Order: sequence, then C-alpha cells, then structure tokens
Amino acid sequence: MFRTKRRAVVLVAAVITGALLVVVLVAGWATSGKRDVTDVNGNPDAVLYTAGHRPLAPDFTATTLTGSRLSFSSYRGRVVVVNFWGSWCVPCREEAAALAVAAQRYAPAGVAFLGVDVRDTTASAEAFARTFDITYPSVSDSGAQITLDFTAVVPIAGTPTTLVIDRTGHIAGAVFGQATYAELNTILGQVDGKAAAR
Amino acid sequence: MTDVRAPEAATTEPRLPGGPARGAQGLADWLKWGWRQLTSMRIALVLLFLLALGTVPGSMLPQEGADPAGVQQYYTSHPALAPLLNHLGLFNVFAAPWFAAIYLLLFASLVGCVVPRTFRLAGSARTLPPRAPRHLARLPHSAEYGTTLAPDRAVEVAAAVLSGHGFRLRRPDDPADAWVSAEKGYLREVGNLLFHLALLGVLVSVALGGLFGYKADRLLVQGDTFANTASALDEIHLGRLATDADLGPFTITLNRFTASYITSGAQRGQPASFDAQVTYAARPGGPSRTDSIEVNRPLSVDGTKVYLIGHGYAPVFRVTDARGQVVYDSPTPFIAGTTGNFLSDGVVKVPGAQPEQLGFTGVFVPTWVDVAGTLQSAFPAAENPAVSLIAYAGNLGMNSGAPQSVYELDTAGMHRLTAEPQLLLPGQSLKLPGGQGTITFTGYVPWVSLAITHDPGQVPALACGIAALGGLLLSFLVRRRRIFVRARAGGPTSTVQVGGLARTDASGSFEAEFASLAAELRSAHSQHEK
Repeated sequence: MFRTKRRAVVLVAAVITGALLVVVLVAGWATSGKRDVTDVNGNPDAVLYTAGHRPLAPDFTATTLTGSRLSFSSYRGRVVVVNFWGSWCVPCREEAAALAVAAQRYAPAGVAFLGVDVRDTTASAEAFARTFDITYPSVSDSGAQITLDFTAVVPIAGTPTTLVIDRTGHIAGAVFGQATYAELNTILGQVDGKAAAR
Repeated sequence: MTDVRAPEAATTEPRLPGGPARGAQGLADWLKWGWRQLTSMRIALVLLFLLALGTVPGSMLPQEGADPAGVQQYYTSHPALAPLLNHLGLFNVFAAPWFAAIYLLLFASLVGCVVPRTFRLAGSARTLPPRAPRHLARLPHSAEYGTTLAPDRAVEVAAAVLSGHGFRLRRPDDPADAWVSAEKGYLREVGNLLFHLALLGVLVSVALGGLFGYKADRLLVQGDTFANTASALDEIHLGRLATDADLGPFTITLNRFTASYITSGAQRGQPASFDAQVTYAARPGGPSRTDSIEVNRPLSVDGTKVYLIGHGYAPVFRVTDARGQVVYDSPTPFIAGTTGNFLSDGVVKVPGAQPEQLGFTGVFVPTWVDVAGTLQSAFPAAENPAVSLIAYAGNLGMNSGAPQSVYELDTAGMHRLTAEPQLLLPGQSLKLPGGQGTITFTGYVPWVSLAITHDPGQVPALACGIAALGGLLLSFLVRRRRIFVRARAGGPTSTVQVGGLARTDASGSFEAEFASLAAELRSAHSQHEK
C-alpha cells in the first residue's frame, strides 16, 4: 500500500512538473516572435522583417494637426515611414532632426513620412514641428487608438517607435525607441530594393 | 486498502527531531526526512507565520513599487540605515529573494501535504464498510428482536430497507453467513476531498494571476480618451509570463467626473461621493457603451477591472512665446499634496517656446484664501479656484538625456523670470518680463486616476474558495455512520441483532436515527412474516 501511494505521489509530481514545463515552453515560444526578423546595424531594437513575414499594417483615418482628414490607405503604393512621437517625449526630440533630414533626402525617391502624435495637444505638437523643421504631416493620436491598432501587429511599447511600411502596406522594418539616420537609411535601402519582389 | 481511519490522524509522522532515525543512512534518507518535515503541519504553520512576519516591513517601510518617492525620502532622512535595508531587500519586500523563498517553501509544503492526502481521501471514499462484528450488542447502539423469517431472508429484507435509505452495503463472501454491513455519510469524504482539491486550485489560481496578470495606472483628464496600450499607460507591472500584447485592447473616454463634498458640520470638506462617467469600447471598432466608475465599483471590460483610485484638478494654460505663437494650450494635471483641500502642485513645460524654452512651477487651489500672505485652500470643491505661478526661461533639458517626469521641472539650465509667485484667477494672464511671452490660466478640468488590473486567477480563486468552503461544511456536517444487521437461528425462527456506530464524536442525533432505523427494520420484518 505504501508503495502504490508513493508511486502515485511521484506520478502526480511528474505530471505537475511536466505541465509547468509545457507552459513555460509554450510561453517562451509565444514570446520569441523574433524569428522572422533580423537586427539592423547591430541594434536589437531596430529590425527588418523577413520578406513573407511582414505584418500587414492596419488602416486608419484620422485628423492631421492642421485639421484635415487623412486616410492611411491613400499611401498604398508608396513606401511610408510612420513615426510615433509626442512633443513631451525626450527621445522623440532627440531623433526629430534625423527624421527631418531623412524625410527630405528620401522625398525624391517617393518615400513618404507620416507622424502619429501620441498623447499630445495641437499647440505643443505644432511648436515641436516648427522647432525641428518637420515638414511632413502628423495625425493626432491623443487617445493612442492608432497606436493600439498597430500594437495588434507589432510590439509598440511606447514613443518613439518608427515603422517602415512597404508599397503593399506591409511593415518591412521597425525601430523601437529612438531612431538614428543610419538605421532609417539601412531599412529604407532594404525595403526599397525588395519592395517590388513582395 | 485498509486505511479507513479518519485521514486527519495519519498526516504527520511523529519523528521530528534528530533527522532520520537509526542513524544517518545516506543522502536519500536525509532528503526523505527533509521532505517529511517540509510537508508537516508544524512547518507549514511556521512558514505561514514567517510569511505574515515578512510582510510587516512591507507595510512599515516605503516600497519601490508603490511609493518610489517615499524610498528616496527615506534615503535622505536615514543615509546610514537605508543602504543596509536596501541590501536586505526591505524596500521591495514582495520581490525579495528571501520572501520568495518563504512562499515557495510554503507552496511546496502545501502541495506536498495536500496531494498525498487527496489520494488517501479518494481511497477512503471508495472503501466498503467493514464486516459485521460478531457481537453487535457491544456496539454503542444496538437492538435485538425475534422474527419468524429464516436468517438469510431476514438479512435480505434488512438489506433492502438499508439500501432504500442510501446506505452502501457489504454482504458476506460466504453465502452461509447471514449479516449485512451498511455505511452512510461518504459525502463527508467527498467534502474533504473537495476541500483539498479546491485548496490546490486556490494555489494554482493565485499562481496563474501572478504569472499572466498585470496592473497598470493611468491619469485621465476629463474629456480625454486613452487606449489600454503601453504607450498610453503611465505605469505597467506585467506578470512574469504576461507581455504588452496581453493588455486588453479597450479604449476609455472620461466624459465627466463629479465629486461632492459635505458642506457643513464637523465633517465639512469630507468627500460624499465620486462618480466618473465614461464611454468605453472593449476593442477597436467595437460598440461603445457608457458606464460610471465609482469608488469600490470598478468598470469591468472583458475580465479586466478598471478602478477609480484618485482624482484632482488640471488647470488649463495657454502660453504664447516671444514671437506671439501659441506654443502650449492644454489641461495640465496638478497633484494634490498632503496639506488637504486639494492644494495641488504641478509644472508646465513649454519646450516649443522660442527663442527660449519656458517652464512654470505652480500651485492650484480649488477655493483660495489668503492666510497671512500664503495661499491656502479652504474647501476641496472648485468654488473659487486660483493658481500661483513662478516662471522660468532657459533650457528644460528635454532635448536630450533621460526621460523626465512631467511633474518635475529641472531648473538647472533655467533662470527665474518672476521674483514672487504670481496669483492668477481663471481668465487672467501673466505677461512675462522681457517680452518672453504670456501665460493665461483659462480654466480647469478634473482628472481621475485609474488603476487597471487583470487577474486571470481571480475567478478560479473565488470558485475554488467557495468549493473549499462547501467541502469543509460537508465534511463537518455529514457524519459517517454504520449499521450492522446479523440474523441467527433461534427465537421464533431467527434472532435479528442490529448494531449502530457513528464514526465521528459529534453524533448527537445518531441515537434517534438508529432508533428509527431499528424500528423500521423490525416493522419490515414483521410485515414480511405474513
């Protein structure tokens, strides 16, 4: 009788351990969504999505800081750099000059830039654009609803986040955190070369 | 499987001190001995006590998670003691390794105790009643009468009666024996089993909540909307296995917040009610609903609870810079201090002002009074609001470096524009000296502080808690009791002996039950005689 009881206890312990192991493995597998990406310039927070594994960017319609309506689908057929920012955010201010320069240099190639202004007010956002000579449009996302839509496909953990979207509306690259000109350059070089192949 | 004793009796082994008996016999014995110790009731109680003791510093000292400012303050006021306490993890007790050690050991102890018991109980709930004793008259309750039925027929009739009352029966292996054993009250074991399984369930639920749940905070100004995503939350504490992607994709708009206060008597100024009217959508594009969140009446969105935990005032400022551009126009949440009546502090940062950045530190009072030259608040409701501002110009330190708190102004790179704090009433403006611009106090709106918690273990824990209570009640209220019937040749044709035994001490009503059963058996026998 003691023997059967001990065997049962061992069995239960083994089952519980096994179940925990499965949970940990599944959780580990679920969170390691990095299989479809390669790092950009050695920065693990700047990634290129492998062709065929590019997540489809959600569509949205929103009001720009100047008060006009903007539909994201109108960018289809162009490469778009979408930058999530806020005038209150220190790294956003740090990267602003790099984005402004990139927007000007890539304009002849037909690359569009679009800002998504998160948790901000129009007056502060316009002052930001004036300060850093940002000429491309931004849509207001004061309630972070656009951010929420994008969070469903890419792990946006805060501002700034910069996404590069290919001609078919798929996310080709991302910089989570402050972006540098070099990182944008690398991603845009890759997406433009391969965009037609998708 | 002869273990029919009450399972409570057989859990702890009496050998406690001195390690494994009969001298040390190697590692395996020591491990076995350690496991027995760990799973003993005594150690479980010691661990429970240690756990309670461990939470004491957590409530007496400021904690990193809940009150980081308090920890900073403690460092300044106790410069020698604070690093030592920090080394012991006393500023983050619930994440300290020693605290984890206590609860993991307690968890192991409970699992190690409950799992084997569960098996024992399951066995006990399946056992058949024992054979009928030879001398039923020696049992606490017994009766004897004669009948004209043959012994085996008499036992047959008794078995039918007892089975009709829901007793579990045992008949002799040898058909020549004329007896039947009957037992009832197995629900007691079922209750006991349920209690133990539910206890395990509670442990698993708590673990689930800790692993997959999250807590977040958000300060929301009236009229604003926020989406439950990392970018829009002020603070997030994720469970070990939770990620940003596990946040429920809802959006909440604060339509209106009303707070009312007691206006007279000794309780004047005490809050009477808080009510946050919100519109929410559980998912992007989903239907929007309206609801109200009150203290202790959270909003529930797909299993995530949104609690109202605080509120305050956000004065609205409009700032124009030296070039006449409007560079700031928004409600600015001010945080109430401890002085009462919502005397609140806040800062206004205007990084877009040119040529120099502007900054303001301010105090908001909902009902202002001048007490010997200092601004004080007479009542928590905004009956006569005012702000008092000190203006700075220079470098806010926001163009590079570490992220800043929106409630603190780093004046290291700034120079003060106004010598004295300037009092403004709604609608009034302050012209900054040197043509640096203007700040206007255009009004105020309330804000609320929301706590968002998702605990997937909450419902299972509640269900298991109720099941545990139900099981415990069953095991207390239901008694296991046995009835034995033996028939021997003698008397008219046979002598029937009935014996009864309640297996638990608290058996006050068993005497009556036995008497009525014995009477019923007797009348059944006499009915069958015809």
